[in-house]
Amino acid sequence: MSGPSIFFEDVNERQGGFLRRTFLLGGFAGIGLTALTARLAYLQTLQTSRYRSMSAENQFNLRLIPPPRGLIKDRNGVVLAGNRPSFRLLVIRDETKDLDTTLDEVAQLLPATAARRRTLLREINQSPRFVPVAVATDLTWEEFARVNLHAPQLPGVMADVNEARFYPFGGAFAHVVGYVGKVTDRDVEKVKKSGKDVDPILMHPGFRIGKQGVESALDEELRGTPGVQRVEVDATGRQVGEDRDNGEPPQPGAEVVLTLDADIQMRALEVFGEESGAAVVMDIHNGDLLCLASSPSFDPNAFVGGIGSKLYRAYSEYDHKPLLDKALTGTYPAGSTFKTMVALAALESGISPHKTRSCGGAWRFGNHVFHCDKASGHGTVDMHKAIVTSCDVYFYQTALEMGPDIIAATARKFGINQIFDIGIGNQKKGVLPDRAWKKRAFRRPEDQIWYPGETPSFGIGQGALAVNPLQLCVMTARLANGRKALNPRLIKSIGGKERPAGSAVPDLPISADHIDIIRSAMADVANDVSGTAYRAAQLGLGPIKMAGKTGTAQAHSITSGASRATLHLEWERRDHAWFIAFAPYDAPRYAITVLVEHGGWGAGAAAPRAREIMRTTLLKDPAIIRRIQATGATVEAPPPIDDSEGSGLPEAPTLVGAQGRTAAE
Amino acid sequence: MTSSALTRPGQRERLPVKFSEIDWRLAGLTCVIAGVGAMMLYSVAGGNWEPWAAKHLLRFGACLLVMLSLALVDIRVWMTVAYPVYGVALLLLMAIEIPGVGYTALGATRWLNLGFTRIQPSEIMKLALVLALARYYHGASARDARFSWKLIIPLAMIGMPTLLVAHQPDLGTAMLLALTGLAVMFMAGLSWRIILTGLTAAAVAIPPFVMFVLHDYQRQRVLTFLEPEKDPSGSGYHIMQSLIAMGSGGLLGKGYGLGTQSQLNFLPEKQTDFIFATVAEEFGFIGCVTVLIVFGLIIATCLRIASLSHSHFGRLAAAGVTATFALYVLINGAMVMGLAPVVGVPMPLLSYGGTVMITVMIGFGLVQSVRVHRYMELPKGRGLF
Repeated sequence: MSGPSIFFEDVNERQGGFLRRTFLLGGFAGIGLTALTARLAYLQTLQTSRYRSMSAENQFNLRLIPPPRGLIKDRNGVVLAGNRPSFRLLVIRDETKDLDTTLDEVAQLLPATAARRRTLLREINQSPRFVPVAVATDLTWEEFARVNLHAPQLPGVMADVNEARFYPFGGAFAHVVGYVGKVTDRDVEKVKKSGKDVDPILMHPGFRIGKQGVESALDEELRGTPGVQRVEVDATGRQVGEDRDNGEPPQPGAEVVLTLDADIQMRALEVFGEESGAAVVMDIHNGDLLCLASSPSFDPNAFVGGIGSKLYRAYSEYDHKPLLDKALTGTYPAGSTFKTMVALAALESGISPHKTRSCGGAWRFGNHVFHCDKASGHGTVDMHKAIVTSCDVYFYQTALEMGPDIIAATARKFGINQIFDIGIGNQKKGVLPDRAWKKRAFRRPEDQIWYPGETPSFGIGQGALAVNPLQLCVMTARLANGRKALNPRLIKSIGGKERPAGSAVPDLPISADHIDIIRSAMADVANDVSGTAYRAAQLGLGPIKMAGKTGTAQAHSITSGASRATLHLEWERRDHAWFIAFAPYDAPRYAITVLVEHGGWGAGAAAPRAREIMRTTLLKDPAIIRRIQATGATVEAPPPIDDSEGSGLPEAPTLVGAQGRTAAE
Repeated sequence: MTSSALTRPGQRERLPVKFSEIDWRLAGLTCVIAGVGAMMLYSVAGGNWEPWAAKHLLRFGACLLVMLSLALVDIRVWMTVAYPVYGVALLLLMAIEIPGVGYTALGATRWLNLGFTRIQPSEIMKLALVLALARYYHGASARDARFSWKLIIPLAMIGMPTLLVAHQPDLGTAMLLALTGLAVMFMAGLSWRIILTGLTAAAVAIPPFVMFVLHDYQRQRVLTFLEPEKDPSGSGYHIMQSLIAMGSGGLLGKGYGLGTQSQLNFLPEKQTDFIFATVAEEFGFIGCVTVLIVFGLIIATCLRIASLSHSHFGRLAAAGVTATFALYVLINGAMVMGLAPVVGVPMPLLSYGGTVMITVMIGFGLVQSVRVHRYMELPKGRGLF
């Protein structure tokens, strides 16, 4: 095969050169492989610990487990805010074949999801691919079973159970307990602004924080401590396994016990029916608030999952303002209930209770005629009679004699114009007018002067005066207690730790004798035939009787003094009805304040409701029951109050009939 | 069988004799690597033969048969087809450049659509270039190979396909082609003066080349490999995860099937380009060195075959295939270890993927053929025909 064309010299040279170069090529490859080995040695021996920890960081994630939220209970352990299991349907985008067809199939199982399709699509697309998004919550057992049956054929669809906040009493405690809602960007901003670290649990999908009332004020206590679980994840962050040995279980939030009594609160809401107003009941021994109700109310459960805009608009547009907490946030003129303060101020400033004034139904001061509620006049009245019959003329004159400052100072001692530290916010201070207030409140010098013509109105609790029902109840409680400047208490304990009682306060700087004079007058308001609330305030509990004071506060200015009855007017022009009371009148234990917004007048709308709430309160007290039984009296059925059909009490004012109307308030 | 028997005319042409001349050690070593590959593919699929391991073994079996068949092909046939194959491969590479003919995927036009299948002409070119250069040098004098104006011919043979492939763009393959070609030139006896001048020129030219000529994504790859931790979520991610996988393997590895980086998908391209990082994670330093030793033995065996050939064509062809193979191993190794940019060069026989396996095994078929026909002396002129 070898041909003559090959020059042997050339062949030998080429072959020799090739052999040398082969060794070199082999050498280069060897050097390359050695370099790789050296690099491997560096990575796999010297750097191992560093890369091991990085590998573990990759492999494991700390996952937060939301803690069960602390329960909120009433004083007897009745759950006001609890957690209930909620069946949910979740969709994991990453595991679906096609999100659109998956949602179609889900809509076949749960037709309700079809309507929210667009929202759902956006929500799912905004979440990370592997995070389950709740497509439907609060499934019924039947729906849950149906979903579970079909889920295996639907990739990316699963059903689970989580805890949802639940308010078993619906609206009864809505204003006090509040509600929880989704964590918004604004909530996170607020935490950041307060300088605190944002709890990572806030970012947990489905986590809820308190938005209102106790839920909001004690959110951190109720929230608990999230548990931590070390989970194995893959590169996309999807969980592939658990590390059961490491991690901590969640610590449930602290249990909050309120001083409220669910029975009393429910009774209050019941007697209000559709009427708008507020009821506050206090234990005058320790300041515990037994009832703090605002009517009409709203369903806090609707807010937990995110309230629909339609329902929210219905709530906010209804003229009875269900979202407003009328017990704390609403302020109203105190009306004649304030006469207790004016009388006490008179006694404190040295005016004799026996000093009489003459009431002719009206009284001219300057170029203004001030009317009394009883157009024919009360004749000669002293302090006792003035309170019992609620004579306006007596108080016009008495107030003018004292001037506004001393009245305001006395009222302030009784809690008017104060914000109480009861653990929840939203309290409005209102207005307690005096000379200093005018200086503060007005800019123009001529407005800053207190004109004598303003004093008579102030004397009957009108004018600029504005109070909230809680303040009036504290005032009543302090009158009833007689000694202590009692503070209200709403939060009984947090996590088993008792909060200081409202009675750990200094004494009232008021003479006990003077308070007695007011109290005996209040007793006659409810129990003397001439009293403004004589019929409406009968408890029917034998020796246990109430002492009280009615009030009718103008919600609009009266143009003519001819008629002050406003019941015939349209709702929002009617007067506000007040009733403040304590019982038993001889050994006070409970104080109550009832406001019926635009209720017409105190004795008609407010007093019967106060009586019913007070009856419930008294009948829950074993000491009171023993006292009734000791006298051999039987507990009478209460006068009919809410037997009118349907709406409960709107007709109530007619129950007191003509007798109430003749008495001036 | 005595050597005297083999010297009888025609004796070596008998198929059973040829078969016995096949280097079974080389065949065995390729089986070892492919077996390790299948084992790792089984592991990264979470302990499943599907979707990779079974296919990998099947393909390798087929490729092994191809290799053994090619081993029996007369060396003169190889020499004869060298230029035509190169010519066809070059034409196909050009055809890709015609709009509408090339098939584009992932932003690169690398494929030619034949209707029933797609072929990658650059893969054919890898072996075609080796064959063509060996064919050229077989006929050239030692002086032509060392230092002569005629060096323009092999340079053009390397340059044309390299530029065409780089334009696709496929930087990894282009680099591989150029380096393979240069390796053949080196083996053919290129003057050291030219080599040193060339290396100096390259050292000067590379930085501006990286800065101004490369595509954005290519530059990104080059720059991030230098500092992978700077951009851990972007293009540095591949390198970082690979380093974590290898480093966390330690001396003995995490254990077979227990590599968290690959099992949990942190390691990208774990079944193809980064399969070696999985070996490193699960079998540690010991496992890696074992695999590298096997690769080293393959290279050594091939070079020995090259050196034993009596024909210059056989020597250069075998050496060229060996250089290609060694470059695959070194570039992939350097890439997964963070010593080179991520260029998409797989680990031959270990990585999942048919194209490279076919190329490499056809190459080994050529090497085997060189061994089987090592005593055959070839005239300088044309081949068989």
